[in-house]
Amino acid sequence: AQNTFSEMMECVFDAQNLISISLRKIQSSRTQRGGIKLHKNLLVTYVLRNARQFYMSKNLSQTQRTHHYEDVSAVRERQDYFELTGSLTELGDDFYCNFTGVESDTWHCGAHQPNGQPAEVPHQDASACAMLSPSDSDLMVSEACWSCADKSSWELPILNAQANQKTVLDLDTHVVTTVTNGYFHSDCCAQSKQPQGAQCYTKKRKMDTSYHIVDPEFYLPDFGPVPFKRMRTDEDLHSDSDQLDSTNISNLISVLGSGGLSEFVSWQQTDLEQIFAAQTICLKHTLLTGSGWTRAIEAF
Amino acid sequence: IMCGPVRDWCFSQVKGAIDDDVAEADIISTVEFNHTGELLATGDKGGRVVIFQQEIENKNLPQFRSEYNVYSTFQSHEPEFDYLKSLEIEEKINKIRWLPQKNAAQFLLSTNDKTIKLWKISERDKRPEGYNLKEEDGRYKDPNTITSLRVPVLIPMDLMVEASPRRVFANAHTYHINSISVNSDDETYLSADDLRINLWHLEITDRSFNIVDIKPANMEELTEVITAAEFHPHQCNTFVYSSSKGTLRLCDMRASALCDKHSKLFEEPEDPSNRSFFSEIISSISDVKFSHNGRYMMTRDYLSVKIWDLNMENRPVETYQVHEYLRSKLCSLYENDCIFDKFECCWNGNDSVVMTGSYNNFFRMFDRGQRRDVTLEASRENSKPMQVLKPRKVCAGGKRKKDEISVDSLDFNKKILHTAWHPQDNIIAVATTNNLYIFQDKVN
Repeated sequence: AQNTFSEMMECVFDAQNLISISLRKIQSSRTQRGGIKLHKNLLVTYVLRNARQFYMSKNLSQTQRTHHYEDVSAVRERQDYFELTGSLTELGDDFYCNFTGVESDTWHCGAHQPNGQPAEVPHQDASACAMLSPSDSDLMVSEACWSCADKSSWELPILNAQANQKTVLDLDTHVVTTVTNGYFHSDCCAQSKQPQGAQCYTKKRKMDTSYHIVDPEFYLPDFGPVPFKRMRTDEDLHSDSDQLDSTNISNLISVLGSGGLSEFVSWQQTDLEQIFAAQTICLKHTLLTGSGWTRAIEAF
Repeated sequence: IMCGPVRDWCFSQVKGAIDDDVAEADIISTVEFNHTGELLATGDKGGRVVIFQQEIENKNLPQFRSEYNVYSTFQSHEPEFDYLKSLEIEEKINKIRWLPQKNAAQFLLSTNDKTIKLWKISERDKRPEGYNLKEEDGRYKDPNTITSLRVPVLIPMDLMVEASPRRVFANAHTYHINSISVNSDDETYLSADDLRINLWHLEITDRSFNIVDIKPANMEELTEVITAAEFHPHQCNTFVYSSSKGTLRLCDMRASALCDKHSKLFEEPEDPSNRSFFSEIISSISDVKFSHNGRYMMTRDYLSVKIWDLNMENRPVETYQVHEYLRSKLCSLYENDCIFDKFECCWNGNDSVVMTGSYNNFFRMFDRGQRRDVTLEASRENSKPMQVLKPRKVCAGGKRKKDEISVDSLDFNKKILHTAWHPQDNIIAVATTNNLYIFQDKVN
């Protein structure tokens, strides 16, 4: 049990540490031989979630007992609190902003009932836990409830003006895109407009302009053309249109499902022509169904 | 079945390179005895399969009964490249499973992340000689010189063991294959990846039946994956699969074509007092094995081995702590990725003892009947012929006794993930990173 402030701060630092380690793992898994391991990445997102919940619950007891963080400046303060350094900071900030929580219907409240028996109640929020043990100090309550913090408190406001917008890193295509209300804005559909994802992404950067430009190389695989590369140089903009088509095919197929062609051929009624004709619809659908890898980042 | 309680284990053999510089391709990734125990197969990260055969001639001399020598070596899988996704498919052999022997040849299934292959291993100890139309070197004779009929005769030759791929079962798995299991009907087998389980017929390679699919309609709702699967040893309609959430699902293929709905769900409620950042990781099941008698299942998660009775779903009947002293080190083990290590477990022939690996080249045995457990070490230092293995002990904290090893001195690079027990005898195969150790019980 953590009884001292310093012990609590140590735990908070641990949580921060875990978050940065986890992000590093997800990032390095992209370049691992054999492809992204779904199982390992899923487990890493659980650690991310746990660490983040813990961190948030500590802040909860620190500042005020409110479930809704709508104050953008408060969010920024918390971002500044992070001691992650270098590009990992950018990574951490961005994912931190976009965390929407992990859906779980098997949520167990770790808070202890006054009679000493742990409660097993689904979807308890922090205030409910507080009611269960009113005599506990703020610190102990949040500690007990770290596993069942209110889900809504996870949804930080996106610094972007538009509501319901989030930045998604697709681990399949390694493309960072913006998603509004579940719809892609990305240039996966061979549209000529610049991907908004990049712009939104840079807006979330810290004020420090040295981090202003995102290095797409940071996210790109070691090989293979990706549309995102296009915006970097004029050369890329003038590149072959054939490349664009094949890129779209690979993006499309990888977005459709992590299985690439094998998943693709299981769609018996679908043919390639239909898909190209209805690119936007497909991608919207896909985003709603999602590729498993997207979720790996979105979950945080 | 010579599987009584064992007091002493002795070193028998070690296979593999001696030097400490381990080539990645030589890392052993699976170990499996065949149904008689006469053959022992290993697969490695480089896609190779090496089969050892027990020397029968020395079976009369008990102390040499377990001498295994190389029988066959072949390249099972090669690295592949998925051009659409710009992904390399590893050639690492994830699992090997033997088929029951039906004729002179031996058959095994080997799998990497995406493709399963059926291999036939056959012996050739005779060759034909004296062809009518061909010279000895294979050139065809001038027909004009042939004046008589000659039938070739089979003459003895040095034993040659050939491995040939008989079937290739490909393109059925989107995600990484983690298990294969041969059915007791001798006709079908299952293969499992993170989200799906497919049923195959051994003769048919161009299609398989999907029997479990846990992929959610919205992948954002994914909360668990399949980690292992196995057919029941006797009931050909029953199989089990484990999940990353620590649950076991027993399925009956007679109930419906798609076995998404389990017949039984085995799950132990989490102890809330043990909750940590890593609770989900350490509860993930890395291996599941039916007992030989088919009444129990054993699961391995990061810190423990659990025995489940098929008739009791709400908790295991036995739990054995493998290395509880690691619980306070989970953060470091997460950092160095060791927490993701997938340990396997195995039963002995009469289901009285279970075995699993640990770190520092330690492995653990739990005697269910005698309620005893022992920690042994596979190391070159203890590799004198018939040397008895001394039990090891890890000191979790406090004062370290003589001969004890402190947790902080454990070498986490030396891990034993794969172990196998001879189906009928007290002979075990233990794989360290790149060496295969064979131990047997002490014969007086």
